[in-house]
Amino acid sequence: MERVLKLRRRQNIIGWGFVLPASLMIFIFYFYPIARAFVLSFQTGVGVNLKYAGLFNYQRLLADNLFKKSLGNVFIFLIIQVPIMLLLALVLASLLNDKNLRFRGFFRTAIFLPCATSLVSYAIIFRSMFALDGFVNAVLTNLSLISRPINWIGQPWTARIVVVIALTWRWTGYNMIFYLAGLQNIEPSIYEAAFIDGASGFDQFFRITIPMLKPIILLTTIMSTNGTLQLFDETMNLTNGGPANATLSVSQYIYRLSFQYSPRFGYAAAISFVIFALVAVLAFIQMRVGDTR
Amino acid sequence: MKKSVSLLLVLIMVFAVGSNLVLAQTDEVTITVWCWDPAFNIYAMEEAAKIYKEIAPNVKINIVETPWDDVQTKLTTAVMAGQTGTLPDILLMQDNALTKNVTNFPGTFVDLTDSGIDFTQFADFKVAHTTVDGRNYAVPFDNGAAINALRLDILEEAGYTLDDFKDITWTEYIEMGKDILAKTGKPLLTNVADSPDQIMAMLQSAGVWMFDEDGDVFIAENDVLKEIVEIYVEMVKSGVLVQVNDWEQYISTINRGTAAGTINGCWIIGSIVGQADQKGLWGITNIPRLERAANASNYSNQGGSSWVVLSSSKQADVAIDFLAHTFAGSVELYETILPSSGALATYLPAGDSDVYNEPHEFFAGQRVYADITDFASKVPQISYGVYNYEARDAVGTAIAQILAGADMNSALQEAEETVKFLMGP
Repeated sequence: MERVLKLRRRQNIIGWGFVLPASLMIFIFYFYPIARAFVLSFQTGVGVNLKYAGLFNYQRLLADNLFKKSLGNVFIFLIIQVPIMLLLALVLASLLNDKNLRFRGFFRTAIFLPCATSLVSYAIIFRSMFALDGFVNAVLTNLSLISRPINWIGQPWTARIVVVIALTWRWTGYNMIFYLAGLQNIEPSIYEAAFIDGASGFDQFFRITIPMLKPIILLTTIMSTNGTLQLFDETMNLTNGGPANATLSVSQYIYRLSFQYSPRFGYAAAISFVIFALVAVLAFIQMRVGDTR
Repeated sequence: MKKSVSLLLVLIMVFAVGSNLVLAQTDEVTITVWCWDPAFNIYAMEEAAKIYKEIAPNVKINIVETPWDDVQTKLTTAVMAGQTGTLPDILLMQDNALTKNVTNFPGTFVDLTDSGIDFTQFADFKVAHTTVDGRNYAVPFDNGAAINALRLDILEEAGYTLDDFKDITWTEYIEMGKDILAKTGKPLLTNVADSPDQIMAMLQSAGVWMFDEDGDVFIAENDVLKEIVEIYVEMVKSGVLVQVNDWEQYISTINRGTAAGTINGCWIIGSIVGQADQKGLWGITNIPRLERAANASNYSNQGGSSWVVLSSSKQADVAIDFLAHTFAGSVELYETILPSSGALATYLPAGDSDVYNEPHEFFAGQRVYADITDFASKVPQISYGVYNYEARDAVGTAIAQILAGADMNSALQEAEETVKFLMGP
């Protein structure tokens, strides 16, 4: 009996020994800064002249038109882009899950490949493609679809469309991989039974695939919501928030407040905690709606 | 075990003593500098290091290439975190960010007023940009005097010469622009949309800024700004000015000859001369002036940067001595860097040098450097203020809204309120 206890203690110590370094690192470099940022969000002032002011920063937010504008922008992206991307990823995943499809590996890799590109470089490539004399205008003009070049990045809604297209290109494959993994866990016999019962491919997709993938759809929705609310690289490099702040994201506004304008770190920290709260609330709602266990 | 420990101790002691000895013998000092352009300010710094090597052979200048955006980000992070030890001894600062950084980070930069550097030897407008509350915080470097650079062959095709553009008003500029557009199909001017550089240069040409003398926002009631917005909108609507989306496209309109000219800081020459097959086709003159503004002139400034010394530097006195003997005291330095980099100085004694009076073959033999030095001496003085970047963005947004059809007064009112909010408690 004593020997068993001793062994268990030994194993426990070894286990903690493995877990501890990583946990400590996460605590020091992740949780500690988050706590400090929360404290910072109660301080107000410009540059190094910071002083405690309670909830003042959170109050100031309510009157901040640029903050409201940037929040509106990310919600536009969220509402338009996330459903398009997730639906596309689902369709692609179920197509590529077909065992009879030739070159399946090639297609999977090709669709996943955009995720391996750097956020900054793909944004810059999209900017040059959608330039006034860029690739997209050249193709559309040569196909006689448009008579004169469209100033994509120079107008609010076309600029937003370009951002949506870019985000969809970059992130669809990423979500598709989750769905493919989920599809592997669906028993093929379910589809066979459905087929024998006369269910069309359409029925199979909506009646079997989507319900069976529900937990994974929930996961990808929460991740995409989180990612879109914290959007930075794409709008920073593709449109730089323009024209007239039509694509300014909240993160870019935080960046401007911290590093381009007279720095207000306390206020910037308050905005990031509002985003944190929003992500938490949206994730909670999505879980209540999506998780019917 | 014991043996190896004592051996280790002995080794450590030998190394420690040895390295102390080396330090004591040569007393070598390394001055670290952050700046960003290999063809321009880094090159100038390297040449300055060579000159100072003869005065103080024990001083080594270590240049670290750091783009301006990174300089600002690193500076802000280091000061806010109290880690000023990570900063260099000298860094190059954009003039339009100097007041902001000096005011928000008090004590971070060395006050150079009584350092022995003679600031009267620099162009007045430039010293105004590097002075905060009457104290000098930077050794002025490059010249951003605004020029109107024009393609002589395109002007000729439409029946104009460079002289027609000298000392003119914006109305005359637009009239000729429309004519040139009709005859050659080329706009006179291109500009990056959402970037209000052109507006800023026009404001300074009348000695006015987006803040009044007390530092309060001056946008909604600023009649000079309104005149400028009207001119800008007319230029865009008539096609005299074409807006492009980013800097690369802007440069390509100059280099590919899709535009008949450009108005910018004189450093744009560096990009113009990059296109070797356009040799002899360019000329420069002063910029058009406003009509209704009280102090309108044909001279302005766009961009420019200066050297600041960090208080956290352990060798700040060496850094100051280095700058005093080079950028603030060596005509030879400016004579060396001008021909190969086009780096025009704001150091007035250098302007008398023969090098500055050489004809420039790219500009059809025009004495461009002498002309620009003359322009620089006439640039109106203004102070950019602490909230310059906030105001720039707000005015840039207003211009985009006005061009999309919004009412000018309400767009400028909104810009004023945005800046007021950002300046607020």
